[in-house]
Amino acid sequence: MITLTINEKEVTLDKPVSILEAARQAGIKIPTLCYHEALKPYGGCRLCVVEVERMPRLQSACTLMAADGMVVTTESEVISKVRRGILEFLLINHPLDCPYCDKAGECELQDLVNKYGPTVGRYKEEKRKVPESHKDQILARNMERCVVCTRCVRMCNDVQGASAITIIGRGDRSRMEPFSSASFNCEYCGNCLTVCPVGAILSRLYIHSFRPWQVDKEVETICSYCGVGCSLVVQVRDDSIKRVIPEMGLGVNKGLLCSRGRFGYEYINSRERLKTPLVKKNGRLEESTWSEALNLVAEKLSEIKKGEGGSAIAGIASPRCSNEDNYAFQKFMRMVCGSNNIDSVSRTGFAAAQKFFEALLGQGITANIIEGLKNSEVIFVVGGDPTSVNPILGLSIREASRRGAKIIVLGNAKGLDRFKNVQVIPPVFKDVDALEELLAGVSRVKGVRGEKLDIDQGIRALSEKYSEKMSLDGLEELKYALLDSPSTSIVFGMDLVQRANGHRAIFAVAGLTYLLEARLYLLSDRPNEQGLIDVGCVPDMLPGGRPLNIHDFKTKFETAWGGSIPDKDGVTLLEIIEGARNNDIKALYIMGENPVFNLPDGPFIKDALGSLDFLVVQDIFLTETAEIADVVLPALGWSEKSGTYTNLERRIQLQKKAVNASSGMEDWKIISEVSGKMGYKMAYSEVEDIMDEIAEVSPLYRDLSYREIAKGNCLWPYHGEPLRGEIHELPAMAESAGNYGSDFYLALEKPLFHSGTLSRRSQALMKICPEPTLKISGAAAEKLGMQDGDRVKVSTSTGSSEVSVSIDESIKDNRVLLSNNFEGRGVFSLLTYKLDPVTKAPGIEGCEVEIQKG
Amino acid sequence: MEKFLLKNIENPDSADINEYLKAGGYKSLSKALGIEPKDVVEEVKNSGLRGRGGAGFPTAMKWKFAMADPKFPKYLICNADEGEPGTFKDRPILEKNPHLLIEGMLISGYALGSEFGYIYLRGEYPDANDILNGAIKQAYEKNYLGDNILGKGVKFHLSVHQGAGAYICGEETALIESIEGKKGQPRNKPPFPVNVGAWSMPTIVNNVETLSNLPYIIEIGGEAYSKIGSNECPGPKLFSISGHVERPGVYELPMGISLKDIIYNHAGGIKNNAKLKAVIPGGISTPVLPPDSIDCAMDFVSMPKAGSMLGSGAVIVMDDSVCMVKVTHRALKFFEHESCGKCVPCREGTDWLRKILERMESGKGTEGDIELLLDIAGNMSGKTFCPLGDGAAGVVTAMIKHFRDEFEEHIKNKKCSLADSY
Repeated sequence: MITLTINEKEVTLDKPVSILEAARQAGIKIPTLCYHEALKPYGGCRLCVVEVERMPRLQSACTLMAADGMVVTTESEVISKVRRGILEFLLINHPLDCPYCDKAGECELQDLVNKYGPTVGRYKEEKRKVPESHKDQILARNMERCVVCTRCVRMCNDVQGASAITIIGRGDRSRMEPFSSASFNCEYCGNCLTVCPVGAILSRLYIHSFRPWQVDKEVETICSYCGVGCSLVVQVRDDSIKRVIPEMGLGVNKGLLCSRGRFGYEYINSRERLKTPLVKKNGRLEESTWSEALNLVAEKLSEIKKGEGGSAIAGIASPRCSNEDNYAFQKFMRMVCGSNNIDSVSRTGFAAAQKFFEALLGQGITANIIEGLKNSEVIFVVGGDPTSVNPILGLSIREASRRGAKIIVLGNAKGLDRFKNVQVIPPVFKDVDALEELLAGVSRVKGVRGEKLDIDQGIRALSEKYSEKMSLDGLEELKYALLDSPSTSIVFGMDLVQRANGHRAIFAVAGLTYLLEARLYLLSDRPNEQGLIDVGCVPDMLPGGRPLNIHDFKTKFETAWGGSIPDKDGVTLLEIIEGARNNDIKALYIMGENPVFNLPDGPFIKDALGSLDFLVVQDIFLTETAEIADVVLPALGWSEKSGTYTNLERRIQLQKKAVNASSGMEDWKIISEVSGKMGYKMAYSEVEDIMDEIAEVSPLYRDLSYREIAKGNCLWPYHGEPLRGEIHELPAMAESAGNYGSDFYLALEKPLFHSGTLSRRSQALMKICPEPTLKISGAAAEKLGMQDGDRVKVSTSTGSSEVSVSIDESIKDNRVLLSNNFEGRGVFSLLTYKLDPVTKAPGIEGCEVEIQKG
Repeated sequence: MEKFLLKNIENPDSADINEYLKAGGYKSLSKALGIEPKDVVEEVKNSGLRGRGGAGFPTAMKWKFAMADPKFPKYLICNADEGEPGTFKDRPILEKNPHLLIEGMLISGYALGSEFGYIYLRGEYPDANDILNGAIKQAYEKNYLGDNILGKGVKFHLSVHQGAGAYICGEETALIESIEGKKGQPRNKPPFPVNVGAWSMPTIVNNVETLSNLPYIIEIGGEAYSKIGSNECPGPKLFSISGHVERPGVYELPMGISLKDIIYNHAGGIKNNAKLKAVIPGGISTPVLPPDSIDCAMDFVSMPKAGSMLGSGAVIVMDDSVCMVKVTHRALKFFEHESCGKCVPCREGTDWLRKILERMESGKGTEGDIELLLDIAGNMSGKTFCPLGDGAAGVVTAMIKHFRDEFEEHIKNKKCSLADSY
């Protein structure tokens, strides 16, 4: 216990903190400028100086630790004069352009001067001139307004870990500049913007478009991009989003954001948004009315159900839609269309992995708090780069590294290059074997646990398969890092699920999780992949993860829903597509998804969907898939509707409506309209009614309500009953694939700045990253005689595309990477797949590619 | 007085290890290695040695703080970033007597249990860099540096780190930042470098001259050493004398010698018998003294009583051809240029002061400028992150205190009456 006196008030502290913090605890505010709660103290602005008895000089409260018996004064004549003097110093070269500066109204300097500052200027000399820089497309820099508090630099170095900016120059020539000079070459997280106290760094997305006091509504909501589910605040004026900002300390992200979350909101105001329902007439989509379109959908689906049976109908749900939308969707498919053929593109990764992991290790195995990563001693990253797929989760790994955790990586994870301790890059497409070998090695030292006999048996089989001597350099070191760790987290990306034998990777990771008693995190690139599974948008499970083939569960839901659910499990995503191609599936209802673009072998997918009798797409844009639909229904997007998302740690969060859409309807509402027309009434008057129903019918969500969720701590297993019970027999594991001897293989890149359909309609993200590039290794560039920026033609067995190349030194094997984000140039149109027999995820492996100078 | 620090420097080959050995060099090291490290510290404590970098902190006390910290490795850094205007006292040691410094660092390293030393060398001393590296190479060859020094199982490695020309890197925490490869800016204290220094390890930063005194202390014993010069700050001291004196240069004199004695006896008095106008006794950051205040003892304790500070012992002598406004302006130009920019009062204050002084010197001073200068200096003094800003403010305050009429004259006459005198 530390007891000190501040302004004659006795303050008792439980743990040592700075004088500044101690004063705040006692309700005494000390003015600051360079201090920021998310950053280490700096002591540069000197505004927080206080008098401390028996100390000769004034002390900066942010850097001085409170000690027992200290007597501190935070306000006095002397201190006021100092603060006035400091503010005067800050103003002498300041342009005093508040009437023009976007920061006015929320400027810390302005507020401080208002309170403590001089009222008249005494400066007669010439001011320093630094022209405002608009060389960057996103961030404007005005270094005349800069107070050199270095909050941006400390944020960039110490929290974001990007180290992209610094203070160049010295003394009064000090100014912030990116290392890349004029424009930024960084992760565009914009966290520097958050911490800038003045108008020195501004977002060009909203510069000169509004004043902070003109914001008429602030809505605290959840980001729509990835599975982390960051909290953010949407600021609205005149029913239009002016700005998206984080709030310090709030939510999973605690005030940090990534490029997509901060700058990617503009798609919602895109002029390409669907405005009216479209109906195909004479081979062309034409504008229609809601009643015509909805009637047609109801009519056609009823007809096909009657003629072909419910199993001829399938539905593709969306990990971008809310739990409520998805719940209504699966209920509609099961109860109204009479089909369990419900799946989503999550089957290409997260849903496939999640299902097998839970089968092996039990429901809830991936429900681990992201924050917990920071306290791990070892973090094992495999199957993708967390800093680009789930950037904010990636920051926790960087933070753990700063705290001394060992970061070990199998495969590539570029964003961790400066943070990793051990990295092993297996030969091309041999990562799965390396993982198995690692598990075998670990089990050889550690033995098996004897708790799960099937897994033990599987691990023993691997120990026999691999010899004691590890085949790859570094794998031994990796093994001992894992064995020596008292607290391990495993972060598993979906790259290895999308392999022809992805189930082996999942088993190996599950084995490691089990042997090391590790915390498992699955990377998730859509906001509601977990929620979609939990509310039953999978072919074999009802809401709450209840298996359809367990009679009791089925009848419970039938009673609750008032009807009958088909007995047979439905088929998975790519089986649906293949079913469409084979004419087993006649009608497909797609909600918020773009399979033609988002699934591998685009030409095949398009062809398959083209052979359907009836295709309904409900979306916010006329996507590649919507273009070939028979009916297109305009939906509402993020910020236009409310609902809940379940993030990758299984936290349920509220996403709130912030603006009114000019057209379109909530997804659940469209579904319930069609349902009603098909003779099954869904009695929801608002979205909350759906959550109330979910809480009633699903044992996992017992007693859940929006009020509860709004508290922000709605964590697994809620008040519900997780399903206990695991696999009884391991599926047969595939053999190791042969060697890949071709020159180059094409693979999917998951970039930081894009997600696809939405991000390509966000102007800011398009400015940051305007076009796809083929990422090739330095060795490949040399072999091909190519340089950064060269135009090339990339050809595979399914097609070709023209892009420029970009050399990426983090690629160490003979893969070349292309993203799947840009219209007409997505890598999926060039890749073929092979279905994983266990997970039913499309395996993308060994796609030979030819690269020619264009 | 017998010279110790500058012993043998007339010998053109004084930097060569063989010449150094011939003159009795490295004997103190052998002697030190023959006694317990704690006894070496005790000798240093008894000697009363105070740091020669400017602050005059008792050396043995600093060492004890570092030794009390259980963390290893401990780093020993020699501060050879001699950048204070007027100061060039370490240069003869670095260029003429490098082995004395190396021997001093070895003794210090042995006493502290430090096995790694760095010499942070002023970037503008390229010759010293070559000489020091040559000397270090020789010392390795003769087994005075390495893993088993003189077969006694003592390890010490030493290398030179060249600065890049920033004055602030003479401040020990900024120096450490710079050694770590970062931008030279001071760190928060506490924690002090003795606990959390280079690469977060206990680090002792001592000045060249301080370390170079160690062989002498070991040679003659702490007790005998403490009898040299002033009671409270004993030992020999190097004074670098520049400006309007007959014989500028570096003088090794006992601590506590009178400033007047230095100027008039050792440096030969004012050049061309001109009239003395002002003396800056310890480098540009120390307050200026008028002629009637120079009969004072040059040591860390006496100088504050005389209204200034010993600083680095860099005596700058000015005759009556010198315009004090111009001197002040030139000093502030230096401080403005060297301000690291970390804290507001120093970054902005030095710039503002410099601009006003520039205006004054060019005849554009206005009524109230002197009060403004004093007020700005007051807003800086004691409020800056490190002493650089205090120094800048102190120059202005002292100059106005002693030469206010000259400042007033500039404003009144709208020109500098001495502008053409040099």
